[in-house]
This record gives sequence, C-alpha cells and structure tokens, in this order.
Amino acid sequence: MIEQALVSVENLAFVSALRNSTYMYPLVNAGHILGVALLVGGIVPLDLRLLGLWRKYPVMVFVDVLRITAAIGLALAVVCGALLFATAAADYARSSLFQAKIALVVLGVSNASILARMLKRQDIRSLPMEAPMPPAFRAGAVLSLVVWISVLILGRLLGYF
Amino acid sequence: MPQLRFTYLVCFAVLAAFLAASAAQAHHGWAWATDEEFEITGVIQSVRLGNPHGEVTIRADGENWVVEVGQPWRNDRVGLTREMLSQGREITVHGHRSAREGERLVKAERVVIDGQDYDLYPGRKS
Repeated sequence: MIEQALVSVENLAFVSALRNSTYMYPLVNAGHILGVALLVGGIVPLDLRLLGLWRKYPVMVFVDVLRITAAIGLALAVVCGALLFATAAADYARSSLFQAKIALVVLGVSNASILARMLKRQDIRSLPMEAPMPPAFRAGAVLSLVVWISVLILGRLLGYF
Repeated sequence: MPQLRFTYLVCFAVLAAFLAASAAQAHHGWAWATDEEFEITGVIQSVRLGNPHGEVTIRADGENWVVEVGQPWRNDRVGLTREMLSQGREITVHGHRSAREGERLVKAERVVIDGQDYDLYPGRKS
C-alpha cells in the first residue's frame, strides 16, 4: 500500500515533468545543495563557538545570526529534497542509506530545537564572555556536528549506491 | 583547550572527505567503469527513464543487465524515444561495464535498435 502511494507520487504530473525536465531537475538539485551549504555552513561555526572556539566574540552573535541562515538552509533543503525524492519515491524509500539519512535529519532537528529551548531558558547573555558553555550545550554541539555532517555524507552516498 | 578540540575536528573532516572521495569513484561519470569497450545484446525487460539518467534492464543469455542510458535531453538529442526503449525490444549496447566484480551494469555510449545507431556520446569512441 505504501509502495502504491509512492508510485502514485512519482506519477503526479508535476513530478513526472520534473523527472523528464532538462533544466528544472539540475536547478532543484542546486537548490538542495544551496540549502545544505547554508545549513552546514551555519551549524559548523555555531557549534564550534559553543564548544569554546572564538571566545573573544559573544556567543549570542553566533546564535542570533547563524541559526537563521541555518534554518533557511534547512527549509530550502527539505523543499528541494522532497521534490527530488518524489521523482523516484519508491526507490529512495527502499534505500537504507535514505532511511538512515532521514532518521538523522529528525535527530538533528530535535537536537537543534532542544538546544534552542535551552538557550532561551538559560541566561547565556549574562555569562562572562570567555566562560566555557555549560556541558549540556557542549554535548548538544558535538551531537549537532556529528549528525549534520553525517547527513551530508549519507546524502552524497545516496547518489552512488 | 580549544586548540586540541579543533585538531580533532580537522582530523574528522579529513576522514570524512576521504570517505566521500572513495565513494565518489562509484557511480557518476566514467570512473566507476572499466576502460575496455564492451558490447551486449538483449531484450528489454523494464525501463525507468528520467533524471539523473535512464535505466534500462535487459535480458541477455539468461541474465539481467542494467544499462544506463542518457538523461532526457541526451536521449532526445539522438532521437531515442520512450517507444524505442520499451519492453520486448531488442537492443545492442556499446559502452563500458562496471569495474565492480560481478556487477551487471553498463553505461551506454551508443545503442543500436532495429539496425539504427543512436550515439549518446558522439565525442567518445564506441
């Protein structure tokens, strides 16, 4: 039944058009990569600051700027990614690389929202500037780095296996 | 000790890049295939056309082979239609087979259907 639903997604008119397009498919692909670039490109410096790099600069500067660019990147990657998925939905859904990737995306998003809630609850702004972040933040930052970089690697491997 | 942590991260990044690079030899382009010219003739069993490239499964000598044909514009350019690549048609494929032992996968450079040549990669010797 799931298989049938996925095949009917593949057969939607606009999905069919995308699968057989000359320019749209590579452009959607580029959109997905742009999204991943914004996401990982924001997450890495943000997590490194939480881990204690660049302590001369206030942590909230990193948080306020990079979480917005990373969130926009995530949204773009999800929208374009869903379109790419739709063009071969049944094949992707069967792939264990894809399943692992989606599981890690869910883990990464949950981790990020927990970190965001912790940042809101604890008064980080009033910490001394050079003070190390509380261990829970550092643990979240390590998890975030590992998860998002793994998502990127799994995503790339999907194209080859 | 931020410097120490940073070193770990750099090591991790290098390892990740290495893994990604070794995987990259696996599929796109020609690097995953052998250099030797390869030819196979079979009857089309199933077809999945579209981006990023079409896949045609053929049966030859009792074995199924997957043939990678072009993406839509490459097939269109040489006049290779969905009808020509449909189930039951006989097709001869010139191209390069996967370098992986036992993998029955060919990337097509040129296909022949009903005696007619369709040269997907005119710049390459086939």
